[in-house]
Order: sequence, then structure tokens, then C-alpha cells
Amino acid sequence: MADPIDIKSHMTKAADLGLSNGQVPVEYYTSPEIYAREQAMIFRRAWLMVGRVEEVPGPGDFIVRDLPTLDARVIITHGKDGVIRAFHNACSHRGVALVCQERGNSLTFRCPYHAWIYGIDGSLRAVPSEQDFPHVDKAKNGLAPIHLDTWNGFVFLNFADAPEVTLKEFLAGLDTMLDGAPFDQFPFYLQVTDEIDCNWKNLVNAFNEGYHVAILHQKTLRPAVIPKENPYLHYLDIKHFGPHSAGTVQRNFDYDPDAPTLRWVYAQMLPTSAPDKQAIAEGRAGFYEHPGINRLKIPNFGTETITIFPNISIQPLANGYLFYQFWPLSHNRMRTEVRIYGRHAPKNLREEFAMANTLAATRDVVVEDMAMSRLQQIGLQSGGKKVQNFGENEPLLRMFTRDYEAYLAGGGFAPRHVEAAE
Amino acid sequence: MLMSAISLPEQFRFLEPFAAVWGDLHSQDERYLKRQSLSYGELEAFHSALAPKLEEVFSYLDGFDATALPEAEARLYRTVLGLTEASQAVEVFGQARVPYAPYPHSVKMEWVGYQPH
Repeated sequence: MADPIDIKSHMTKAADLGLSNGQVPVEYYTSPEIYAREQAMIFRRAWLMVGRVEEVPGPGDFIVRDLPTLDARVIITHGKDGVIRAFHNACSHRGVALVCQERGNSLTFRCPYHAWIYGIDGSLRAVPSEQDFPHVDKAKNGLAPIHLDTWNGFVFLNFADAPEVTLKEFLAGLDTMLDGAPFDQFPFYLQVTDEIDCNWKNLVNAFNEGYHVAILHQKTLRPAVIPKENPYLHYLDIKHFGPHSAGTVQRNFDYDPDAPTLRWVYAQMLPTSAPDKQAIAEGRAGFYEHPGINRLKIPNFGTETITIFPNISIQPLANGYLFYQFWPLSHNRMRTEVRIYGRHAPKNLREEFAMANTLAATRDVVVEDMAMSRLQQIGLQSGGKKVQNFGENEPLLRMFTRDYEAYLAGGGFAPRHVEAAE
Repeated sequence: MLMSAISLPEQFRFLEPFAAVWGDLHSQDERYLKRQSLSYGELEAFHSALAPKLEEVFSYLDGFDATALPEAEARLYRTVLGLTEASQAVEVFGQARVPYAPYPHSVKMEWVGYQPH
């Protein structure tokens, strides 16, 4: 039977994007000096995603975030005026990280050391024995702010003194393509956090190609994901926006699990990734309806894998989305944070079991990637190889490397939206 | 084997040997670590005793308030949650551990805004 869409013609190759950098220095993955440069030239210049506006839904709500790459501890607050702000978690007196809860609701923060008090807008409100600090102008000694902006409910921070570009300029058209994509329909999440001994870019690369899925994930993803017509899971219709990208990934719609636990779970609550065929037919399948997702309208659509430079991968799926963030801790250690977003918290024990099962399944896939990235680091550090080889079927690895090099050299920001030629 | 003070509800006593393994674990990471420490045969025995009975267990648990399970039912449910890990081993990998992963391997897993069992 003829496929109405010629899948092969949509398999974007590196040459289609003019990317000839098929060999990349191993040093990028093993050098402490290059890591120091990444901290300064990438993580202190790019806009970094740190969460969702739903995490601070009302006035007084706050969360604390740890950005290990920058040794930054950040408070994100929702002010009485409705404005969402970010501050370094550091008292103006002698630097104590004064907010110790992970999240909460309060209109003031009180330092536990000497009781300096701040408003949720960061302003310094009270200094005990204030006459002893005649040199401290309260109006100038609030919590140190961090540049914050939001797009489609995602909160981004920029740690530069003066950001070189706005968030909109940084997103370079990815924002336009995905504007209105219904991330807000999936406010509930489970988080998986794992640290392992490897360079963070090993994980960035793993999420930027489907070539490994049939091999490394042969027991986990392959049966559900790999379609007959695309055995190496080549990404389709790659779009690029400055250093960011999106590619369409298929799914095996013939997959029908027959193992007893998985079958029971499917009957309670579909896993995040499993297509809800009825919802698709009725036009209420969340991301499936968005015009920026699955532009080819392939019938066995699985996900649009969206990469936001430098360290984010987002996969909108049938019943929610997966969010991955990769934080370097050093040149050879990193932390992966995965969030499994869904429509709502479990409503009963059946749903809790189903979600716990999806949590275990999703974690095991990530563990496979982490485990392989650790073995990769061992091999890279052994010193026998000077380059890694990125194939024509790994265009996003070449693209990331090109933009990564541009950032390290002091550039990297796209002047304007440039979309890939078909 | 030490018998726990609280046993399972009458009709699920056949799971007692598995409750001794899984019934006192209170987080997904504890269950993940337990799975890694067991032999494949132990995981398979648990899976074959429980997986075909899942609907029976949940039909029984449907009769209770999920937020205030009596201890025997809570222990039953925690035991059943062990299957989320055992089934990964038996139904997916055909071995206890994720291939090539470090051992023991602890992973932080959080439910935000929900208190799981």
C-alpha cells in the first residue's frame, strides 16, 4: 500500500542545512577550560528556562530554583501587583540564602540570621537596629534582581548584567511557530532528577537524534516508537530558528502492549506518550491540533522534538509533554531534570498506580541515555580519539555544535528568524 | 522471615511473602533500589503472582477512601506499587536492572502537588 506522504523526502539531512561539520573535537567534551568558557559565554548570556508560570499562580506564591551551572540559587515570586520576578537568594546584609523552603506563599521574606525583611517584590522593608547601618540605603538594597521574561507560560532568566537580546529575539521564531501551543493544559508534573559522570552535551546530543532509539532503547522505546518505514527514526521536517530547532518524530501506531501490567495501565490512564486514538479522531488531542506541530500532517505522528539552546528538550505528546533540562556541573559531571507533564494529579489509586508506572518507564528510558552517556565519557576521556563523527542523519548535532562554537566565540544570537529550506 | 504486625486483607494473604519485600517501602526510589537488589527470579515470582490479579486488587481498593487507607489496605497498595518496578524488569527488560546503569542507582523522583503512597 502506498504511503500518501513520501517520508524519505522529509528526512532532513545535514547537507540540506548546509552543515558540513561532521567531525567535532573531543576536547569540547573533556576540557575543564572549555567548561569554564561555556559557563561564561553560554550560560551567562543565553536565556535559560527555569519553570512555568503555573508554579507561582497567585500573589505571594514563590519557588526556589537551583541553577548548578552558575552556582545560582534563585527565588521566583508572584507579586501583589501580578508581576513575576526573580532574585538571587541572598540577603543584602551578609549574603545568607534567606529563603529555605522549596516553594510557598508569603508576602515577605525574613532572613533567619538577623531578621532583615524583604517584600515579595524584592524590596528591603526592615532592618533591625537600623541606626547601625547609616550607609545602607534601603531603597537600593533590595534582593538582587535577575532578568526575567516569559513565553507561552515558560519562565526564562538571563544572568547577564544587560542581556544582549530580548527573549523574543533569542527565541528567533520558534516562539512564533509554537505560540499558543497548549502547554497550559498540562499543569501537573512529576520530576525525575539524576546526576551522572559525563559531559552535559552527551545528553543534548542523545535527544537530538533518533538514530540510537532502535538500538539503545530496543526494549523500552523501540516497540512503541519505531515505524516500519523509518527504522533509524530519522527526524522529519527539521525547522531551525537561530540555535533552536524542532523536528517531527513518528510513532508506531500498531503498538498494542500485551504484557499484563502495561495492558492494565493503558486501560486506566494512557501513558504520556501513547496516542489517544479517539481524542485524535475527535480533534481534542491537545498538541496534535496546533499548526506548528506536525506540519506534514503525518498520520503516525509521535512528537515534535523541540530543542531550545543551550540545554532544553521538550517533547509534546498525546497526553501531555516531556521536558528535559541538562545542567553541567563540571566538564564531566551533569544533572538531568525530567518533568512528565499531564492534565491533572491522580484522582484515585488506579490513576496513581498508572502514573507511577509511567514514571518508572520514563525514568528507565532516561537511565538508558544517562548510562550510555557515562560510557561515552569514559571512552572520550581515555584520550585515544580526537574527534567524534556526526552523520548526515545527525544534523541537529552538527547544528548545535556550530551554534555552540559561535557562542563560545562571543556571537551566537540569530539576527532574525531564518527557517530551513525544505 | 519476620512477620509484620499488620498483615494484608484476608483475600490477599497470598501476597504476604511479597508484602514482606515491598510493603514497607514508601517512595518510588526505594522501590527502584529494591528492584535492582532482587534476582530476576524473585521479580518474576512477584510479577506472576500479582499482575494477573491487578483488577481484583483495585476493585477491592475502590471501596476505600484513597486519602485515608486503613493500614492493611495501605500495605497492600504499597506492595502493589512495587509492581511498577517489577513489571519494568519482567515485561520490558527481561532482567532486573537497566543495562549498563550504575549499581546501586538512586534517582530522585518527586510528585509536585500530590502526596503519593
